[in-house]
Amino acid sequence: MKKRILNILESIGYTCIRFLSQIGNFFIFCISSIFWAIRPPWYFKQIHSQIIDIGYFSLPVVGLTTFFSGMVLALQTSIGFSEFNSESTVARVVLTSITKELGPVLTGLMVAGRVGAKMAAEIATMKVTEQIDALGTLGTRPMQYLIAPKLIASLICVPFLVLIGNTIGILGGYVIAIYKLDFNPDLYLYATIEHLYWIDVVQGLVKASIFGFLISMLSCYFGYNASRGAEGVGYATTSAVVTSSVMILTSTYIITALFFG
Amino acid sequence: MDQSYKKKKIEIRNLTKKFNEKIILKNINFDLYEGESLAIIGASGSGKSVLLKNIIGLLKPEAGSIKINNVETVNLSRSKRENLLLELGITFQHGALFDSLTIWENVIFKIQRINKLSKIDGQKLALDIIKNLGLGSDILNLYPSEISGGMQKRIAIARAISSDPSILLFDEPTSGLDPVTGSVIDELIVKSVKRLCASAITITHDMASVSRIADKVILIDDQTISWTGKPNEMLKSNNAKIQQFIKALNPKLFK
Ligand SMILES: Nc1ncnc2c1ncn2[C@@H]1O[C@H](COP(=O)(O)OP(=O)(O)OP(=O)(O)O)[C@@H](O)[C@H]1O
Ligand SMILES: [Mg+2]
Repeated sequence: MKKRILNILESIGYTCIRFLSQIGNFFIFCISSIFWAIRPPWYFKQIHSQIIDIGYFSLPVVGLTTFFSGMVLALQTSIGFSEFNSESTVARVVLTSITKELGPVLTGLMVAGRVGAKMAAEIATMKVTEQIDALGTLGTRPMQYLIAPKLIASLICVPFLVLIGNTIGILGGYVIAIYKLDFNPDLYLYATIEHLYWIDVVQGLVKASIFGFLISMLSCYFGYNASRGAEGVGYATTSAVVTSSVMILTSTYIITALFFG
Repeated sequence: MDQSYKKKKIEIRNLTKKFNEKIILKNINFDLYEGESLAIIGASGSGKSVLLKNIIGLLKPEAGSIKINNVETVNLSRSKRENLLLELGITFQHGALFDSLTIWENVIFKIQRINKLSKIDGQKLALDIIKNLGLGSDILNLYPSEISGGMQKRIAIARAISSDPSILLFDEPTSGLDPVTGSVIDELIVKSVKRLCASAITITHDMASVSRIADKVILIDDQTISWTGKPNEMLKSNNAKIQQFIKALNPKLFK
């Protein structure tokens, strides 16, 4: 009995230590990625193709999700506040929820699922097939050639995607408000502009940058530390997507509570 | 041949490598001189690839010293190691071609890092290199997954020798190739060593290759070097492991 309790304690302790050391390793990984991202040479071709991949090819899914979120927001709030001054209320709810929260979070989640998975799988495959080792023997630093462009591109693209997603989301709300709820377009637009505060947009963009950082770093980290063949690639991909998604939802709360609460 | 006047390119002393307390290599000692071609043989799992990875710094030995061009590489700083690696041409056992790049981009990858070439110049240069390996221009724009395994092997060799390195390290360059192509690769290794006055280490299971390319052979067995000698001495040796290795092939090769 005593032995069994000890065994359980031991495995709990082991898990905790492993978790802590993972966090430590991740932290070191982030620092060295930043270190390599800010010093030359910059691989512009790599950065460019990452920007196309992360920014351009994510547009459809980001647009689609934010558009429908804007629509459903308008619909739901109109049911709740149907009595008076609904134009202003609906416009305001749609605007603030999208710019502060839904725009960045939905965009982050979509990018994590689409791009994070791809980054992790690509790097993990290169790792287990020794391509990363080969890079090092061919006059190239893997961190600089592989990881830094992904970090740079994410930091550039995710805020842009969020801006575009915000606009489309608000448009979604507008479409429902005008065509389904029969609101007055002028009043609705006026209310939207009236309630557009730059601090809300900034809050969303700050979140977006942090999400972009988290997604690229977590995906690259899990990919870079992959082992054991095809299974390792699968494991890295799943871990990247799950961890990024959880981190996005956790950090959005922390950021709001700490800086904008 | 007296080699005392020749430069040592690689010197390994008392190298020990473990994985989680499991000893893979212990007390490895050998030298590689300028212009010398060394073959490493040994059973599967004996630690040949691990030895190579120690030399290029991908794995760190638990004990011992590895000198390349008289520079101690164990615990060498990152930037110094990067400089040293520029002199090495390496192929990995499984090719490790970059599968997001085309064949020609793979072949001149290292050269591109040093000075940028236009697409046309790059393709021309890549073609010059792969012609020597019996490959043609038709594959230049394909991706590694679109060419055969044997071709991949040869592209990996092309990539390794493209920058005219002074030390060549090949991990089973001819395994999986037909005998004719295999001998083409062997010839190429011999030619490269001559032309660049390079030194080479080739891991191989193929005794015919050994006789063609090597000036010196080492056998890794039971975690350490259990036999060293010239290829033609292998026949006369009464080392049991060597005998086993030769039994499998035509002894005429060693006449
Ligand atoms: N990263 C690693 N972690 C743990 N053990 C390893 C690792 N790499 C290799 N080994 C072990 O080291 C031993 C030697 O492996 P190595 O790849 O050097 O064999 P080899 O001589 O190249 O064999 P082959 O001729 O089949 O290529 C094997 O027992 C292997 O299990
Ligand atoms: Mg091997």
